[in-house]
Amino acid sequence: MDDYVITVLSNIGMISFIGLSAYLLLVTGEISFGQQAYFGLGAYAAGAVTAMFLLPIWVGILVGACVAGGIAMVVGALTLRLSGLYFSISTLAFAEMVRLILLIVHVQVEVEGEMVGPAGAEGFHGIRWMFERDLSLAHFMLLIYGLLALVLIVLLLVERSRLGSVFRMLGSDDLLAEMQGLDTVRYRILAAGVAGVISGIGGALYAHFTTYVEPQFFNVMLGVHALAYGLIGGLGTAFGPFIGVAIDIGFLESVRFIQGYRMIVFGGLAAVLLIFMPRGILDEERVHRLKTLFRRRNHAGAQRR
Amino acid sequence: MLELSGLSKHFGGVKAVDELDLTVNEGEIVGLIGPNGSGKSTTINLICGVFGETAGTVRFRGELMNGKPPHQRLRAGLARTFQNIRLFPNLTVWQNLWVAQNSPQDVSARGFLPRWFGATRRTRREIADLLDLADLGHKDDELASNLAFGEQRRLEFARAAATRPRLLLLDEPAAGMNQQEIADLSRRIHRVRDSGVTILLVEHVMELVMGVTEQIAVLNFGRKIAFGTPGEVQRDKAVQEAYLGASDPGDGSA
Ligand SMILES: Nc1ncnc2c1ncn2[C@@H]1O[C@H](COP(=O)(O)OP(=O)(O)OP(=O)(O)O)[C@@H](O)[C@H]1O
Ligand SMILES: [Mg+2]
Repeated sequence: MDDYVITVLSNIGMISFIGLSAYLLLVTGEISFGQQAYFGLGAYAAGAVTAMFLLPIWVGILVGACVAGGIAMVVGALTLRLSGLYFSISTLAFAEMVRLILLIVHVQVEVEGEMVGPAGAEGFHGIRWMFERDLSLAHFMLLIYGLLALVLIVLLLVERSRLGSVFRMLGSDDLLAEMQGLDTVRYRILAAGVAGVISGIGGALYAHFTTYVEPQFFNVMLGVHALAYGLIGGLGTAFGPFIGVAIDIGFLESVRFIQGYRMIVFGGLAAVLLIFMPRGILDEERVHRLKTLFRRRNHAGAQRR
Repeated sequence: MLELSGLSKHFGGVKAVDELDLTVNEGEIVGLIGPNGSGKSTTINLICGVFGETAGTVRFRGELMNGKPPHQRLRAGLARTFQNIRLFPNLTVWQNLWVAQNSPQDVSARGFLPRWFGATRRTRREIADLLDLADLGHKDDELASNLAFGEQRRLEFARAAATRPRLLLLDEPAAGMNQQEIADLSRRIHRVRDSGVTILLVEHVMELVMGVTEQIAVLNFGRKIAFGTPGEVQRDKAVQEAYLGASDPGDGSA
């Protein structure tokens, strides 16, 4: 594989983290335009750990995930009382606030005669953990997809657990969930935290893949894409966002002639799709039908044997 | 077990519930009837904590419930059904019952695990019993949104029973049911009561109310106008007038 292909695939992988993050919140009924903030926080925190404190990358990923998750829980607790549009706007405002703060944060330390650390609008350069260890892009891509698979498997398992059902309850009827004895406040904060962690892992990987990060990258468009992946792909299964990613990057990236109009085509596609499939391609109903079909086929197969 | 005293709820100028005193004793099936808009659902909402009361107190098993959020009241043993069916349409029948189970084991760390590991054997057995109660054993893997109306009503009933309540509040469970279904429902109510659950039944279908309840309270314009056995209430002058002045109590409409 050449570097271009590896870069595109890696980008797809990293963007999928933020797609999954937004998806989880969509399942709980919250439309967040701000998951890119946790991606950014994860990137900065992880970068600081490896480039400024010279700790191994797994510590960086862990710290990035925890910082993003922790802040997401605090923000989740603060925006809890908001619903619908007000919630969405508050997430957007928070994400912009994070971006603006990162634009002025200037904290550098001297590492081997060089100044390393976030330098405001110039970004955070020199996150070279990967290259200092002679790891190839292909290796790093494996790390990205390994972690992505891990996150996906955890989400798929949670989906089949009681907690997964609880998340869907929050998305369909808050009052009823409350009447069923659920402390909806706690579960909402938990969902926000998990979503923050997922996005943070993506950000941590991103920082090390590109060796530098700048606040400009974590803008609203990133968040809007993340949201669109879940909405298009469907809210019935954690596989949903990947369909969204495939349509956006896989399909549209390859159709060169519409390059300049990509956003317009993607936006239009999303709008038309959502009119006919309001909960995305793989919505709960279709996922359930597929599962039933699959189970029946297995059952029939077992009987024939 | 349940004690309402001076309970009032005003919506602007409307006194939906007005100075209501009501006591429900353990093990009883108590009816709460009254013409449309007389404050029956509002009373249930006040007991469950959907909204705050204007005045008065709700005591459950001696404990003051005022100001407690719904989930705490549920854990204290108060469960309900809704006048308009409310289920989680995107969850299966089995999942709808699973999430209603709220004991510490159910909510513990195992809650992160898929069904076969995450649900204790006790939970699974209880859900099987509930499916049997609701006659939905063959539909356990169906999405709630794909159920027929009658099945949804049965699931809602089972779901309320699944929370292991001490007091079950039923808001017009027989609305839209035919004779056969009403007979089934009345059997189901008795079965739940016999397992040790007290029941407060709000209903327009007189056949059901008169058949299953031991005591009936009658509301009109938010005030209690009568309380007694089904026979006493039926003979009560004030009750007859309230119903003559309003809609026919036997029409079963909501
Ligand atoms: N959330 C609310 N806001 C304003 N008014 C309300 C609200 N809920 C109920 N009411 C009013 O309170 C009164 C009592 O309503 P409630 O629903 O308790 O009656 P009900 O006895 O359950 O009637 P029905 O037999 O039709 O179900 C009605 O006049 C109703 O319009
Ligand atoms: Mg009512």
